[in-house]
Amino acid sequence: MTDLTTAQPGDRLPPVAFGRITRQILALYAGASGDHNPVHVDLDFARKAGLDDVFAHGMLSMGVLARVVTGWAGQDRVVSVSNRFMAITPVGANLTCSGEVAERLDIGGVPHLRVALAADVTLDDGRTARTLAGEALVRAD
Amino acid sequence: MDATSSNPNGLFNRSTKGLITDPVEFQVEAGRISFFAETLGERNPIHHDRAAAQAAGHPDVVAPPTFAIVVDLETGRALERQGKPSVLARIGCDYRRLLHGEERYDYHGAIHAGDRLSITTEVLGFEDKKGGALELAHLRSEIRHPERGLLVSITRSLVHRLA
Repeated sequence: MTDLTTAQPGDRLPPVAFGRITRQILALYAGASGDHNPVHVDLDFARKAGLDDVFAHGMLSMGVLARVVTGWAGQDRVVSVSNRFMAITPVGANLTCSGEVAERLDIGGVPHLRVALAADVTLDDGRTARTLAGEALVRAD
Repeated sequence: MDATSSNPNGLFNRSTKGLITDPVEFQVEAGRISFFAETLGERNPIHHDRAAAQAAGHPDVVAPPTFAIVVDLETGRALERQGKPSVLARIGCDYRRLLHGEERYDYHGAIHAGDRLSITTEVLGFEDKKGGALELAHLRSEIRHPERGLLVSITRSLVHRLA
């Protein structure tokens, strides 16, 4: 676990390169998470809903985003994690999640760090998109 | 979050503003934690191996931070198996138009395998955005343990694409 007592704004957290989000991963995540919304796994349903294809569960990316924080700080130190979903993640996208210390702050006499988080995808045609923008609060004692 | 604003194309059932659901129980199983962690690519043994979790000071394998979504969705499905509507059904989610807007977890304690948890959800309200092209539902859920109290609160916005 990282020593957070000396962490400073601007410090980068080790990123998590999740890799390609395949249809199989979406099927497994649907089962594991309990999110059975067919728009993520059933191409027939997605097309009837007017979409070209299925798209990834936003919560799959948020789960990977949280790994950036837990892998760096340890889960016991995580106070909160939040994010906005900025864009859908197409099937086949390559996902990388990253974070950077934004602020040191004192909460009730305990040092904390606010961390800015981001999920970014690269598509097969080379286009990139930010899919999640978030933040976490961690204890830094 | 003005429930009185009306959107003629709105699909959410706005009369559910203020609803607080009865608690629904959920039994946390080690295999489910491991499966969930695996799909996230999370290989830290505290999520997969009881001895490793105990060596790290936990009573049993630890749920990853976003496991709260499993408690939420599986309790919704448990209600539906009993012929009762889930919160998502009660607020009128249309999966063809549904997107996730925001999600927040505040942690007060860890979730472990073996925990018998309960969850309640409050419908905070509804909101129109982008001239009625989007409508939002705001929800907050609390996951509790009978002895350890509040473990996780979930704050969420769901979005219908209407245009």
